[in-house]
Amino acid sequence: MNRLIVCALFWLGLAVSAHAQDAYVLKFATLAPQGSTWMNIITDWANQVDRESQGRLRFKLYPGGVMGDEPDVLRKIRFGQLQGAAFTGHGIGSIYSPARIFEMPFLFRNTQEIDAVRAQFMPEIEAGFRQNNYELLGWMEVGFLHFFSKKPLRTLDDLKKARIWLWDGDPMGIAFFNASGISPVPLPLTDVYTSLSTGLIDTTIAPPLGAIAFQWFTKTPYISEVPLSDGIGGLLVARSFFSKLPPDLQALLHKTGEQASIRLITETRRDNEKSLAVLRKNGIQTTLAWKDVSEKELYEQRDRAAAELIKSGYLPADMVTRVYRAITLYRSKKP
Amino acid sequence: MPGILYLRLFIAVGCCLMLGACSVNQIVAKSSTSLIEAGVRSMNQETDLELARAAIPSNLKLIESLTLELPLDRSLQSTAAQAFYGYAFGFVEDDVPARAAHLYKRGLDHALAALAADGVKVNLLTATPEAVTQTIAGLDRKAVPALFWAASNWAKWIDLSRNDPARIADLPKAASLMQRVLELDPGYYFGGPALFFGVYYGSRSPMLGGDFARSAQYFDQAADYSHGQWLLTEVFRAQYLYQQMADRAAFHQVLSAVLAAPDSPPDMALANTIARAKARRLLAIEENLF
Repeated sequence: MNRLIVCALFWLGLAVSAHAQDAYVLKFATLAPQGSTWMNIITDWANQVDRESQGRLRFKLYPGGVMGDEPDVLRKIRFGQLQGAAFTGHGIGSIYSPARIFEMPFLFRNTQEIDAVRAQFMPEIEAGFRQNNYELLGWMEVGFLHFFSKKPLRTLDDLKKARIWLWDGDPMGIAFFNASGISPVPLPLTDVYTSLSTGLIDTTIAPPLGAIAFQWFTKTPYISEVPLSDGIGGLLVARSFFSKLPPDLQALLHKTGEQASIRLITETRRDNEKSLAVLRKNGIQTTLAWKDVSEKELYEQRDRAAAELIKSGYLPADMVTRVYRAITLYRSKKP
Repeated sequence: MPGILYLRLFIAVGCCLMLGACSVNQIVAKSSTSLIEAGVRSMNQETDLELARAAIPSNLKLIESLTLELPLDRSLQSTAAQAFYGYAFGFVEDDVPARAAHLYKRGLDHALAALAADGVKVNLLTATPEAVTQTIAGLDRKAVPALFWAASNWAKWIDLSRNDPARIADLPKAASLMQRVLELDPGYYFGGPALFFGVYYGSRSPMLGGDFARSAQYFDQAADYSHGQWLLTEVFRAQYLYQQMADRAAFHQVLSAVLAAPDSPPDMALANTIARAKARRLLAIEENLF
């Protein structure tokens, strides 16, 4: 009898160690701080995957930029130190730049347009990431990026007189500024707050929640009603990790990533709405309203920026044409 | 302590009957404030965490009931703010953060009541950051406890509400209150203002306004003020700065040193016992953090 128990324990032990060997660990980084809306959703996602895979796939989360900014994270994924991350457009541009087509200046007017148009392009966006060694598990949004300025901006031309921050090395930003004839001040993100204080810059670009989180709003009493563009993001994992997962875990990551994506987009939009109200409460005034700009002006700037990005190979020409067509079609159907 | 309070109540009621005029409750409350101060001193010397955990809530309610009678007593309001902070930080935050957030808010309200007693007429919760800075620029050293506990409670309330844009937007205001304390009395509460800014700059990535070198300087300053005896300084250094820097070796070394630190001076006993408990908890989850 005792021998039987020992045997049973032995086999049980083997079964446990085989189970442990099956476990995959996905080290996943994000800039979102612990406790923020994004991080709460990503944590829920990780817990769901752990639960539904019965511990076979586990996340190890690195929030709050502890793994560095996005170029650092990309490097760490290349070296196998991390397997995935929640990237914004900045990082996405280094993986598969055509996905940033949805971040083009003055492309979208509202979230309904974004949802309708983006859905048509997602299969080819996903394929594009896959060809570039990443698996897209879910789309995200940073939200509409507005100009935050020290002085009121009454026309698009006023931007030419402003000292506007350009995120150092961002091709999308460079294309916009070249197209608009504006000379920006290129700075890393970390220097923006101090540079607003010293006067090196007097205008920044951010989603409302970002302006609050970075505390830039304390230096800029004006926000443009017209957004420059819609900031994008994505939940991405390296193919080198993803392709080794058994099919059921791959499917689980896709299913749960999609669910997380829906929550992330909804909550981000809600947070940005709330942030606009908070900014108003803090005395921030609206400037550069829709009535202050003509459609023609916006389209001209958009097209000039697109031409630059096509020329540099950052965006494919046919994709730009197809996105324009999809937007025009959507708008023509709207009452 | 409540027993002694009832004795005082009896004496005070007797006196009041004799004098024939005045608010009985106010006399009782006033006569009890020195007892409250002694109670706070006694609690700070406690080394048995379970005893402190069980005893603090009833004392919190007692202090709060006294503030209802003496809303303009700045010292009492500051004590209430400190007590709410201490209870939330030591006994609630790690297990039930949402409840701790509410307790910090209550602590903040008491500190703001103390500031109102100091003549602050602006509602700091709703004022713009500039208005807050202007208002507190006129305050002197007497306002230091109220400013310190307002900033401490406020920052914690924000920290535990990072999914609420309205709270995040208040961070510059909380920081400006502590900046004023730094100007008026940098050594207050064992170098508390420097400790605050150590966390302030150490708990965020540089992208979000963090500054590791500055944080380290503030932690060093804070440690100097307490001659290295206030162990929370090192716990915070590990928990915020080293975790954000992803420096596991430093994290482990500092927290291990906290556990090995010699016995504390009596007035730091409770805080240092809490610091050791937090260090132990952080070391237990070290593997998940790095």
